[in-house]
Amino acid sequence: MFRTEEMEINMGPQHPSTHGVLRLKLQLDGEQIKEMRPVIGYLHRGVEKLSEHRTYAMIEPLTDRLDYVAAISENLGYCGAVEKLMGLQIPPRAQSIRVVLAELQRIASHLLWLGTHALDLGAMTVFFYTFREREIILDLFEAFCGARLTYNSMRIGGLLEDVPRGWFERVRHFLKIFPGRMKEYEDLLTVNRIFLGRTKGVGVLSAADAIAYGVSGPPLRASGVNYDVRKALPYSSYDQFEFDVPLGSHGDTYDRYLVRMEELRQSCRIIRQALDRMPDGEVRAKVPKYIKPPAGEVYHVVESPRGEQGFYIVSTGGEMPYRVRFRAPSFVNLQALPLMCRAGLVADVVAVIGSIDIVLGDCDR
Amino acid sequence: MADDKDTKPPSASPPPAPPAGGGPPPDRPAAASGATPGAPAAPAAPAAPAAPKPDPLKDPVPSRAVDLLKDHFADQILEVSYHAGMPIVVLRKERVAEIAAFLRDQADLRMDYLSNLTAVHWPKREKPFEVVYHPFSTSLRHRLTLKVPLAEGEETPSLCGVWPTANWHEREVFDLFGIRFAGHPDLTRILMTDEWVGHPLRKDYPLEGNPGDHLQYREVTTAEHVYKYEKATIRGFGWKKEIEKTGVGRG
Repeated sequence: MFRTEEMEINMGPQHPSTHGVLRLKLQLDGEQIKEMRPVIGYLHRGVEKLSEHRTYAMIEPLTDRLDYVAAISENLGYCGAVEKLMGLQIPPRAQSIRVVLAELQRIASHLLWLGTHALDLGAMTVFFYTFREREIILDLFEAFCGARLTYNSMRIGGLLEDVPRGWFERVRHFLKIFPGRMKEYEDLLTVNRIFLGRTKGVGVLSAADAIAYGVSGPPLRASGVNYDVRKALPYSSYDQFEFDVPLGSHGDTYDRYLVRMEELRQSCRIIRQALDRMPDGEVRAKVPKYIKPPAGEVYHVVESPRGEQGFYIVSTGGEMPYRVRFRAPSFVNLQALPLMCRAGLVADVVAVIGSIDIVLGDCDR
Repeated sequence: MADDKDTKPPSASPPPAPPAGGGPPPDRPAAASGATPGAPAAPAAPAAPAAPKPDPLKDPVPSRAVDLLKDHFADQILEVSYHAGMPIVVLRKERVAEIAAFLRDQADLRMDYLSNLTAVHWPKREKPFEVVYHPFSTSLRHRLTLKVPLAEGEETPSLCGVWPTANWHEREVFDLFGIRFAGHPDLTRILMTDEWVGHPLRKDYPLEGNPGDHLQYREVTTAEHVYKYEKATIRGFGWKKEIEKTGVGRG
């Protein structure tokens, strides 16, 4: 007779579908996953330790390197946290431009996710399409601040500079062409039988589990929990814009895809409103040259494309923060991965990792 | 900086004394006259200790969670303070798990979501570690900060049983601070390698190198050190003046 036994295999850290350096120890019964243990830390750079030895203004470039595909969200959250700690009021124009930037960043990040997620599942064409549009957004960012990935474009108290002449028209042009381009992606995927087969019912996460494991962002909303920081605890004038929070019902990989696709549309909607009502005026509040927040602490959260991005800053009144903690959505969402993959197939792990959209730079800090 | 000289949490004290070490003098008046009404004015602090300047950042905010905690666990609360609209409750460690379950299950609190869990090291305090929790309610949308002070080597109950998400957070705190959580199912290092010696986020852990390696080790403790180091290594701060003078490189 044949003997059967469980097998332990190692996926990553140099696996192309793990989007960085994530290692998964899988315990398999045939093709079925019995147990999974993510091993992280390969990209740990000690950003929190470094931050304790930098002045407040010098930390912002470090935040760019955390979630490097959505650096604006990190900048926005960090600056927002310090501003809250100091009790600063930000000029309305700066707030609106920040919203435009953050939503453009969300679109860019979701496009990168969509392209690579589809690529993981074998649909190569989508990747070329989404990177075509992402390129337009990166060009917009380049025109705004000179950088394409690590922007460092915000400042405590507002923005470094106002947008260049003609920039809003370029954004409007993008908004005009984008819905048509989105139809192209959806034609390729939404009712594609192979895509449906790979994603429907795969990696199911129930609402109760999602909350208990602290999952946030699109994976949480795909499970049907209505929690979006932009709506729940509005920051940076998000309360002035009308938008919907898309929710899923099954909590599977396909729902996470649908939620993100709808978020792309909602982001366009927010940008359009922000452009229509763009206030005039200054883009930077009066901030002392040496930033010394009063002693105290603050926990500020923003909705990054990956979920709830938190910033915990403890100040003792000095020029450098006493302690900084970056609550990384990738770190927390990854914790629920074993739950989603349990009793699934090895091939589905790739789909599930793609669907929670982790960035290991964010996860390992 | 001699930031850590008071043993009380900073939020409780009257407006903090001007930071020791003497920051660059020109910024003092700018800080006082700037758009920060909440910033403690430097001249007032030593003169009038009896009447501390009202600080809008420290204003209490109504919080059902704090009220209920005061009702049910009055003996466990060491201190309540506020900063920037967030109530901060300092607790004894003994019944933390019970309090967490209370916050989660109470019908008008429903703090089902642990947003963040971390720690802070205050080496000069009597209890040098502080574990910080940020629970949140996804349905009622209110936040709270809980803090548990711990002595060196002291354990605190793990909250994995209440909020499973605490698992990795607690592993991270163990990894970077060396705080142990009693009852944690798998308390191993998570970010550093398994063989790592030491806990990097403790204040006595050097930023670079070891004290013996004279080339790599550097003591960076104050902003002046940072400025000096940046000036010596990268391009310094001269570039800003250059831009202001010539206009080249702006924007």
